Amino acid sequence: MKMKIMNYHYKKEKGEKMKNCIEVKNLVKEYKEIRAIDDLTFEVKEGEILGLLGPNGSGKSTTINCILSLLKFSQGSIKIFGEKMDVNAYEIKRNIGVVFQDVSVFEELNVYDNIDYFCGLYIKDKQLRKTYIEDALHLVGLENYKKFYPKQLSGGLLRRLNIACGIAHKPKLIFLDEPTVAVDPQSRNNILDGIEKLRRFGATIVYTTHYMEEVEILCDRVIILDKGHIIASGTCDELKHLANIEEKVTVEGIELSQKTLSKIKEFKNIEEVNYEENILFITYKKGKNNLSELMDFLKEKKVTYNKIFSERPTLNDVFLELTGKELRD
Amino acid sequence: MFFHNFKYTLKILFKSKMLIFWTYAFPLILGTFFYMAFSNIENSEKLEVIPIALVETEEENITYKEVFNALSKEGENQLFTTQYVEEKEAKNKLSKKEISGYVVLEETPKIVVNQSGINETILKLVVEEVEEMTTILKNVATIEISKKITTEEGRYGEEQFETWYTEIYKKVMEIQNEQEVNIKDTSNANLSYTMIEFYTLIAMTCLYGGILGMVAINQNMPNMSNKGKRISISPLSKGKLILSSVFASYIVQLIGLSLLFLYTVFVLHVEYGTNLSLIILLALVGSLSGLSLGIFVATIFKVNENTKTGIMISVTMFGCFLSGMMGITMKYIVDKNIPLLNKLNPASMITDGFYSLYYYSTHERFYFNIISLLVFSAILIFFAILSLRRQKYDSI
Amino acid sequence: MTVFKAFLKVLNKNKAIVIMYTVILIFFAGFNMKTNDNNTTFTASKPDILIVCEDEITGITKNLIEYISKNSNIKEIENDEEKRNDALFYRDVNYIVYIPNDFRKQFLNHQNPEIKIKSTKDYQASLANMMLERFLNVANTYLAFDLAEEEMLNAINETLEQEVNVEVTSKLDTDSLTKVSSYYNFTNYCILAGAIYIICLILSSFKKESVLKRTTISSMEYQKYNRILLLSNSLFAFAMWFFYVLLSYILFKESMWTLHGAFYILNSFVFSFFALTLAFFLGNIISDKNALNGIINVIALGSSFLCGAFVPLEWLPKTVLNIAHILPSYYFIKSNEVLKTVEVFDFASLKPIYLNMMILLLFALAFIIASMIITNKKRKLA
Repeated sequence: MKMKIMNYHYKKEKGEKMKNCIEVKNLVKEYKEIRAIDDLTFEVKEGEILGLLGPNGSGKSTTINCILSLLKFSQGSIKIFGEKMDVNAYEIKRNIGVVFQDVSVFEELNVYDNIDYFCGLYIKDKQLRKTYIEDALHLVGLENYKKFYPKQLSGGLLRRLNIACGIAHKPKLIFLDEPTVAVDPQSRNNILDGIEKLRRFGATIVYTTHYMEEVEILCDRVIILDKGHIIASGTCDELKHLANIEEKVTVEGIELSQKTLSKIKEFKNIEEVNYEENILFITYKKGKNNLSELMDFLKEKKVTYNKIFSERPTLNDVFLELTGKELRD
Repeated sequence: MFFHNFKYTLKILFKSKMLIFWTYAFPLILGTFFYMAFSNIENSEKLEVIPIALVETEEENITYKEVFNALSKEGENQLFTTQYVEEKEAKNKLSKKEISGYVVLEETPKIVVNQSGINETILKLVVEEVEEMTTILKNVATIEISKKITTEEGRYGEEQFETWYTEIYKKVMEIQNEQEVNIKDTSNANLSYTMIEFYTLIAMTCLYGGILGMVAINQNMPNMSNKGKRISISPLSKGKLILSSVFASYIVQLIGLSLLFLYTVFVLHVEYGTNLSLIILLALVGSLSGLSLGIFVATIFKVNENTKTGIMISVTMFGCFLSGMMGITMKYIVDKNIPLLNKLNPASMITDGFYSLYYYSTHERFYFNIISLLVFSAILIFFAILSLRRQKYDSI
Repeated sequence: MTVFKAFLKVLNKNKAIVIMYTVILIFFAGFNMKTNDNNTTFTASKPDILIVCEDEITGITKNLIEYISKNSNIKEIENDEEKRNDALFYRDVNYIVYIPNDFRKQFLNHQNPEIKIKSTKDYQASLANMMLERFLNVANTYLAFDLAEEEMLNAINETLEQEVNVEVTSKLDTDSLTKVSSYYNFTNYCILAGAIYIICLILSSFKKESVLKRTTISSMEYQKYNRILLLSNSLFAFAMWFFYVLLSYILFKESMWTLHGAFYILNSFVFSFFALTLAFFLGNIISDKNALNGIINVIALGSSFLCGAFVPLEWLPKTVLNIAHILPSYYFIKSNEVLKTVEVFDFASLKPIYLNMMILLLFALAFIIASMIITNKKRKLA
C-alpha cells in the first residue's frame, strides 16, 4: 500500500524556490462581440491548489480551454512549466492531466479499458501503465468496478471514472473542471479526498467550481472570476477580509418588541440588523465578543429563543460584496 | 502509440451495436431481400410456352394443324401448347386465363385474345407466317407459270396447270424446309442485369463504411466530443492519432465488406466475373472512397455527429439511387444523359467497375473507374487535411 | 387535450420523415406513369431494336430495315460499340441487328450473308428474332425463284404486309388499373416505413421510463391516458392514409372514380388499420430509438420486397411467395392484384378480396391482444 502511494511522489529538487507552474498574461478571448475573457493575468505556483471560483458563464472553463490550447484566443500569452504552451508542445502536454466538466469516456469500453486507453496516450510501457491504472482505480475507489461499462455505473461512480481517466498518467499539473457537479455526497467526499491525496503527492491543481465550500476546504489560493474579469484573488482568509464583515449572528425562535430591536440596532460594530418571522440576523463589521455581548443583553432583557449561532463570512459574502449578486444564481 | 490507439479504435467500433448493424448486418439483410425478390425476374422475362387453343370448323385446314403441331412439340424450340376445343369452351378458357388466345380456323382464320401483349403478338405472328404461304405461292405461281407459258407455248391445259402448281408448291416447301437463316448471336455471355442491384449494394456498403471512419475521427476531435478534448490534450500528434483511427476503421470496413462478398458469392450466387485480383482491387479502392467521404464529412462539416451521420446516409442513398439501386435503368439514364454526374458519384463508379468486370472482357473502363475513385478520394482527403491543420478552435 | 398537444409537437419534430416517404411515393408513381393509350383494339407488342447498318440502304437492305422499323421501336444509340453494349445490358434495346456492308450483293449472289445480332434473350428479344427469321425466310424463298430484283422486293413487301385480324375480348382498362395497383402496392412500403416509424417514435418517447413514471403518478386515469394516446396515433395513421388516397385521386383521376377505386381505398384502409396495431405493438415492446429504426427498416423493406410491393408478385419465385403468405402485406397486395382483374363486381369475384381483408383484420386482432398483454405487464412493473 505504501509503495503505491510512494508512486505519487514527484521529485522536488531541494532548495528550489516555488516556481510558477502556469503564467497567464493579458489573456483575451472574444466570441464575436462578447468578451468571454477580458485581460486575465495570473499565475499558478508549483504544488498549490488554485481555485477558480465564479458563477456559471463567468469564463472558468473558457480560461482552462485556452490554457490547454484547445481554444484560440485573441490576445495574451500562456506559459506552462516556464515554456510557451502550444498545440504541438507535446513535452508540456505529457505532464498535464485534465478532468472535464462533462463525463468524457467511451460507452463501448469498460472501466479498466477506458482508463487504459487514456493512460496509454501518455505511457507507452505496458507494465508501468498497469500499475498506474491500479493506482488510479484505488485513488477514486473503483477497484471493484473494473469490468463495468459506463452505462452500468451511477452518476457518482461515472464522475469518479472520469477523474481516473484524467489523472491516471500521474501528471504534474492537473485541471479539474467542476468535478463534483451533480454528485451524491459519498462520491463527492471520495472525490475531494482524492484531490487532497493528489496534492499531498505534489501535484499542482487548478480547480474550478461554483461550490465555495469546496474551495474553502481545498484551495491554497482562490481567484474569483466574473464576466471574464478577475475580481479578487488571494488565500481564503485574505479574501474574506474583502467581505468587509467580521461575523454573522443568527437567532432563531425569538420574539422581540420594537423597543428591544431598536436597542440592538444601537450596538457598536453593527453593519445590518434584520428581524423577520421570529428570526434575527445581525451582521457585524468588526470587533470581538460580539456574540457574548448579544447573549448577555438578551439574558438581561429576559428574551427567550431556540437557537443562536455565529458564522464567519463565506466566499459567497465576498462575491456578494464585490458584485452585488450571489455566486449561485 | 499508433498501435495502442489502433487497438482501442477497433474495439470501440466493433462494440458499437448500431454501427455494426448498419454497416455489417443491414447490407446482408438487404442483399437477401434483393436475392429473394429479383432471382426470378430474368427467368420470368424469358419466353415461356404459350398455351393456346385451336377451334376447328368445317373448313379443312391441314397446314395450320401441321404448323401448330410442329411448334407444340416438346423440346427446346417449343412455342405453344395447343388444344383443340369447341369455340364455347375456348371462350371459357380464355376468360379464366387458362389460354392466351385461340384461333378459329375459318377460311381466313380469326384470332381471339383477352388483351394485347407479347404472347398474343407471337400468336399473331405465327398465324401470319402460315397465311403468308398462300401469298408466296400465289406470287411465285403467277410468275413461274407465266414463264412456262412463254417458253412452252401452246402445250398446256387444266391438267398442266395442276402439275405446275404442285411442282411449285413442292419447291417452295423444299426451300422453306431446307434453307437456313444465317443469324449469328454475338452478344456477351453475362447479361444478367439484376447483378447491378448487388453491385449497388456493394457500393452502398463501401460508402456506409465511411460512417465508421467518420465516427473514429470524431472521437479525436475536441469540438465533437469531450473524449476528443481529452485526446487532443494528450502528448500525441493529432496526425498520428487520426491516421491510426482511420486505419482501424478501414480494417473494420474491409472485414464487413469481405463478409458481404462471401455471402453474395456463396449464398446468393452473385457473379463478379472471373478476375479475382481486380475484384479485390476495386473493393479496396471502393472502400477507400467511402472512407475518404467519411473523413471529409467528419472534418469539413461543423455539426454534431447525428447530423454528420445523416449527411453520410443521404449522400450514400442518393448516390446508390443514381447508380440504380432503386431501379436499374436509373444508372443507364444518368450515364446516357448526364454522364458527368455519375463520374462524380463514387457509388456509380463502384457499380460500374463491377459491371465492367462482369460484362466486358477488356479492362479500360474498369481502370477508368478505379482512377476516378482514386481521384475522388484524393480530393476529399486533401480538403480534410487542409481543414485538420487548423487545430485550434474558435469555440468548442 | 394536453396529451394530444404533446403528440402534435412530437409529430412536428418528425415531419421530415413524412415528407420524405411522400416524395418517394410520388417519385415511384411518376416512374410508372408512362401513358399508354390502351384501348380495346389490339396493339402488337414492339421490341426495342437497334439496327447497325454498314451496307448502302437500297434493295433488300432497305426492305429489311423498313420491315423491322414497322414492327418495332427503333432505338438510336451513339455510334460506339460500348454504348450499344450498355444499351443492351440495361435493356434500353432488346435486340441489335448488324447488317454487313455487302449484304445486298451477297444476298443477290445467293451467298446467304451472315447477319450478326446481339440479344437480351428475353421475350422481347425472342419476338425480334422471330421477326428477323420471318423476313429472311420470305426473302430467301423468293430468291430461290428467279425473279428480277424489283419484282422480288415487291413480292416480299406484299407478303409481309398481310395482317390477320385479332379480336380482343376484355373490356377492362388493364393498363391504368395496373398503375393504380402498383401505386397502392407501393404504399405498403410508405405506410410501414413512414407511419409505423413515426408512431413508434412517438410512443417510445411517451413510454420512456421517466415519462411513464410521471404519467402513472399523474392524476390522469391510466386507461384514459392510453385511450387518448391510441386515438391520436390512429388519427395520425388515418390522416396519412387519407393523404395517400387523395394523392391517388390526383395522380389517376378518372380511374379512381370507379368501383375499383372504392375497393382500392377500402383495402388500403384495412391495411392502415393493421399497420396501426403493428406500430402499437412495436412501440410497446421496443424503447431504444436506434434499435427501432433498424427493426422497422427491416420489417418494411422485407415485407415490401417479399410480398411484391417493389417487384410484381408474378415475378417472384415460388418459394418466396410461400414465405410471403405469413406476412400481412401479402394479403394487402394480393387484393390489389386481384382487384385489377375484376370485371364484374359480384360476390364470387370479390370473395378472395374479402377473405384477404379478414386475414388482415385477424393479424390486427393478434397484435392488439399482444400489446394489451405487454402493456399490462409493464404497468405492473412500473
